[in-house]
Amino acid sequence: MTVAIAVEKAGLETSVQDFPGRYGFWEQGFPPSGPFDMWSFRLANILVGNEPAAAGLECQFMGPTLVFSDDCVIALCGAAMNATLDGAAIPMWESLTVTAGQKLACGFATKGARAYLAISGGIDVPPVLGARATFHMAGVGGADGHALKDGQTLHAIGGEGVPGRRVKEACRPTIANGKEWQIEVVQGPNDDWISAEGIERFLASEWKLQARSNRTGYRLEGPDWLFAEKASTKGPEHGEHPSNILDHGYPVGSINLCGQTPIILVNDAPSAGGFINPFTVPSAAFWKLAQSKPNDIYRFHRISVEEAQEMRRAIDKLCSEKSIA
Amino acid sequence: MIYEEPKFLPGGDRFIEMELGDELNFDLNFLVHSLSAKVREAEIPGLIELLPNMASIVLSYDPDGISFGDLKREILSHYHAMGSLEDIELLSPIYYIPVLYCDHVTRACWEDYCAKIGDKEYDPDLMVRLNDLDGYAQLARIHSGTEYWVSALGFYPGLASLIALDPRCRMTAPKYNPPRTWTPKGTIGYGGSVTCVYPANTPGGYQIIGHTPVPVCDIAQRLPAFKDDLALLRPGDRVRFLPVERAEYDYVESRVEEGNYVHNVARYAKFSIREYHHWLETLDMTERF
Repeated sequence: MTVAIAVEKAGLETSVQDFPGRYGFWEQGFPPSGPFDMWSFRLANILVGNEPAAAGLECQFMGPTLVFSDDCVIALCGAAMNATLDGAAIPMWESLTVTAGQKLACGFATKGARAYLAISGGIDVPPVLGARATFHMAGVGGADGHALKDGQTLHAIGGEGVPGRRVKEACRPTIANGKEWQIEVVQGPNDDWISAEGIERFLASEWKLQARSNRTGYRLEGPDWLFAEKASTKGPEHGEHPSNILDHGYPVGSINLCGQTPIILVNDAPSAGGFINPFTVPSAAFWKLAQSKPNDIYRFHRISVEEAQEMRRAIDKLCSEKSIA
Repeated sequence: MIYEEPKFLPGGDRFIEMELGDELNFDLNFLVHSLSAKVREAEIPGLIELLPNMASIVLSYDPDGISFGDLKREILSHYHAMGSLEDIELLSPIYYIPVLYCDHVTRACWEDYCAKIGDKEYDPDLMVRLNDLDGYAQLARIHSGTEYWVSALGFYPGLASLIALDPRCRMTAPKYNPPRTWTPKGTIGYGGSVTCVYPANTPGGYQIIGHTPVPVCDIAQRLPAFKDDLALLRPGDRVRFLPVERAEYDYVESRVEEGNYVHNVARYAKFSIREYHHWLETLDMTERF
């Protein structure tokens, strides 16, 4: 039975996302989108009895206030947002029954930055290019292509959900109040444009997350970069600045150096451009980016491709029934 | 140059940047798209997407389906099996795009920039001056006098970088500084030696020389060309601009608005680099349209 969800207050930027997002159209400039913290998102779905891929809501900084027309099962994972159901506090990382007419209200994020709301059956929006994920910039997918708006009505597919389930503590990402994060990076693809001293400086420095950051890119503030000789002896078609390179594709997670400003390219990032990417944040560290806030401090820890793949495997394993108590 | 052996550079846990060379060169770009077509055809398990660009391809893969090393070996075997570039023929559809050159939309956009950001020479005048042309008519003749090669897409969804295949029609243009905050959808731009059709209302830095009512990207998927794709072009396609008068422009615009415009595309067209090279040799570069 379909559940109508009235959006009383939309929150700061609440969007429909599905896992893993939109694939197959990257070469035409459409990024994957999808949930920024894929770990919390999948656990929320599993809690209510959905497939991990089902469409749910990503709530950024301040969550929405929603009224449900019919009974359904929901779960909130990720950032703590002091959520209440008809005024009574509800637990995170647990599935619970919502009865017809009840109001879910979320506040500001107190720990972390993004909460994920799964609803039994998943959000019912038409897939665009094979995915329900929202790509705000071009207005693709999700609920009319954009973040939720006050007064809008969404629908969930509904059906049998499973209340009373909980994610084991050890199986959740550790979202703390601290402002300092250690973020894994893999060196490359364009690390040969940076001098050895520049590589060491990047790894040894603190980087502050700027306020002008969103699902397209995370801008960082830190010391100047030092370039290798190659960056100044290259052909003119690469562009004038040492950080310029002949237009090329951008891996999702790559740290894109625009002049002296590094920007971590995330879920909705442009697919290509003319700047170098000396390092890449692997997918297993994305949840940390998703849960950090402007002015938080990053320190980068270099790992190998194989270690990054092992970390991803470990998280994938945790996104399963085994994590549920 | 085109590298003796391509480089495979890691991009985290699920991407590889394969660099085939390091210059802006049509043969190199043709090689990139020929290899991409071959690799797509091979349907390598674990390989998810390809992002070909000027001289490189970004590959996305599932490390649980294929390792970095195995994917590199697979791609290299296709690369070495390609044989001589001269022998490659690629299916390369030609899209015909009507353009009203030096039109009302272009002028309004330029006037808006001058009013809001600062004085700037009118773009068609600047193009005529910098490229030694004798006026707007020659600008339109040169710009529409060649097929363009879609060398890459990206930066913005549906935005294609188009390179003139006839060297006699290549122009150059500086980019706006500071850039425009707004460019109308359908504007024809020129920056460096690349031309483009703006797929949506976006900021921009290319000189603007005309406007087409024909969409190259349609999020709402109203027109038949966008039934399975939101963007019209893919790398390795070709584009030909058709200069039209205002009456034809208005007619096409109304068909687009009514939702029944049919894009004009020659899907059978193949591109042979051997024939292309032969033809280049016959050209008298001192001649101009």
